[in-house]
Amino acid sequence: MKTFIQFSIFMLIAGLAIVLAIILGDCGAWYFAWLVGTVMIVLIAAVGGALLDAQDERAAALALERKDGKH
Amino acid sequence: MHDITVVDLSRLQFAATALYHFLFVPLTLGMTFMLAAMETVYVVTGKVIYRQITQFWGKLFLINFALGVATGLTMEFQFGTNWSFYSSFVGDIFGAPLAIEGLMAFFLESTFVGLMVFGWHRLKPGQHLAVTYLVALGSNLSALWILVANAFMQDPVGAHFNPTTMRMELNDFAALIFSSDAQAKFVHTSIAGYVTAAIFVAGVSAWYMLKNRHMELARRSFRMSVLFGVLSTAGVITLGDALGFVGAEAQPTKLAAMEGLWKTESAPMPFNLMAFPSQENQTNYGEVKVPYVLSILVTHSLTGTVPGVDVLEQRAAERIRGGIPAVSSLKMLSADPNDPVAMNQFNTHQKDLGYGFLVKRYADDVTTATDEQIAQAAKDSIPHVATMFWSFRVMVLLGLGMLAFFVLGLIYTLRNTVQYKRTFLKFAVWMIPAPFLACEAGWLVAEIGRQPWTVYGLLPTWMSASTHSVGYMVFSLIGFVAVYTVFIVIEMYLMVRAIRKGPDDGNGDAELDRGDLSLPASRKTLAEA
Ligand code: HEM
Repeated sequence: MKTFIQFSIFMLIAGLAIVLAIILGDCGAWYFAWLVGTVMIVLIAAVGGALLDAQDERAAALALERKDGKH
Repeated sequence: MHDITVVDLSRLQFAATALYHFLFVPLTLGMTFMLAAMETVYVVTGKVIYRQITQFWGKLFLINFALGVATGLTMEFQFGTNWSFYSSFVGDIFGAPLAIEGLMAFFLESTFVGLMVFGWHRLKPGQHLAVTYLVALGSNLSALWILVANAFMQDPVGAHFNPTTMRMELNDFAALIFSSDAQAKFVHTSIAGYVTAAIFVAGVSAWYMLKNRHMELARRSFRMSVLFGVLSTAGVITLGDALGFVGAEAQPTKLAAMEGLWKTESAPMPFNLMAFPSQENQTNYGEVKVPYVLSILVTHSLTGTVPGVDVLEQRAAERIRGGIPAVSSLKMLSADPNDPVAMNQFNTHQKDLGYGFLVKRYADDVTTATDEQIAQAAKDSIPHVATMFWSFRVMVLLGLGMLAFFVLGLIYTLRNTVQYKRTFLKFAVWMIPAPFLACEAGWLVAEIGRQPWTVYGLLPTWMSASTHSVGYMVFSLIGFVAVYTVFIVIEMYLMVRAIRKGPDDGNGDAELDRGDLSLPASRKTLAEA
């Protein structure tokens, strides 16, 4: 059931995106580019933050490994 | 007849309030989406540090938002008080977007800002995140409507002039909203806000890193802001190009002024990298030219040309002559709206009506206008070239500079070495005013470039103003400038104080915990972290 609900939501989003693209694409595409671009900018910035955490964690793990190796 | 001093003072007053207002707006437009990005990481990873980060920048956003709203309100009133003829002339078109803007700003944006600020302990993380996204969408969509209205002033589409009511009437709402100018203008302005927020967050984070304070907050905020900034700056440049391209069609006088193009040149046209334009002598001094580049920039081809001031003045003079019968037919129609001869005369010449109004400034009865008066009115149709030329270059130069800054910042943060680059960090702090300056320069280009029109090609600025006394205008101008300066001082004071203090609920160096999203929001305090 959960999968079905998720599937429906994603299909709805995809459908909306396609309809929007068709309507806006006819009239000149900048509004649409803004929508897509903003989502992309927000998500890439968010991933960048998460990536920093991953880098930090990896550096800490490496440091720990080195320390353990010495002992 | 309008007193030109009153018109100039009305312009100065609007320019002053708009420029002050636009010191607040871009940060609001961009910061909301940056907050959304930060909070997304919090909700997805559950790391408390990201809640701290979102709340800290949210506090700075709120200071800016509160003062920004106040400065915007007065501008809407000015349309009625200082630009009453303009308001009645285009009220049909301007009214709808302005009303929607008000509704969006007050119902969507402000309501959700309240929830965003006070809802941390009342809403579930996912719900709060949705609210933050709605604030971001609301603030940008409310900007959309005022920019649609502004785009109509730059390129009046979707409406026609009714000679019986003597007003513009809307006939195609979709054409108004989806005009190329509106689209490019909205996206350019909205993304200019993203750039502003990114530089602001990067600059403040750099300051913390220099002081070795709140390092966890600062490093993460810096990383996110440069990614946000690098993409946004690329976007603002792309859309800047699109605006120039659209403008070349819709407002050739603006483009000629921006490029200091006095004489029409054959393709491929060179680009004036530097010049000192003289309006009196209609020439540039100290030109430094780059071959081919102007054709590529403004026509996206090597064979394209755009008209220079010489050709545009000739065209304006022809259109003024064409507009004179249209203006005189209006007089006849106001006496008898059913006069078929007058209606026929109007229909034949209506495309040049606005140009007929241009010469009315010099000849009240336009049918008696002399060649000199027509030539003078044609000269008026060119905006002030030196101001345009340099404002445009300041904006572009700052844009390119910010792109370089973000790219370098991105390299440093991806290598995780930015905290050691002290010179770069100092530079980042000094970069904070850059996007604000670029935005102000952008508005100068957009608005001075539209002169001598309030609605391009239709309604001259000199006709649009109310008939106040000079004393009244001077008094209200001084009042506005004084009050707005106080607002700016308060904003700076509150911002600096909040930045010096740092995050409320800790020192921004929280342990990186995870997985506490199952707890009620009210119990997820930093102490637990
Ligand atoms: C670097 C390349 C850029 C180009 C080619 C460019 C081009 C333009 C043009 C042609 C206009 C006039 C629009 C009109 O006539 O209505 C404009 C306006 C404006 N620009 Fe830029 N711009 C650039 C960068 C920037 C940057 C970096 C910012 C701020 C961060 C900015 C902010 C603005 C603003 C606020 C306006 C006024 C609102 C509008 O008309 O969109 N621009 N720009």
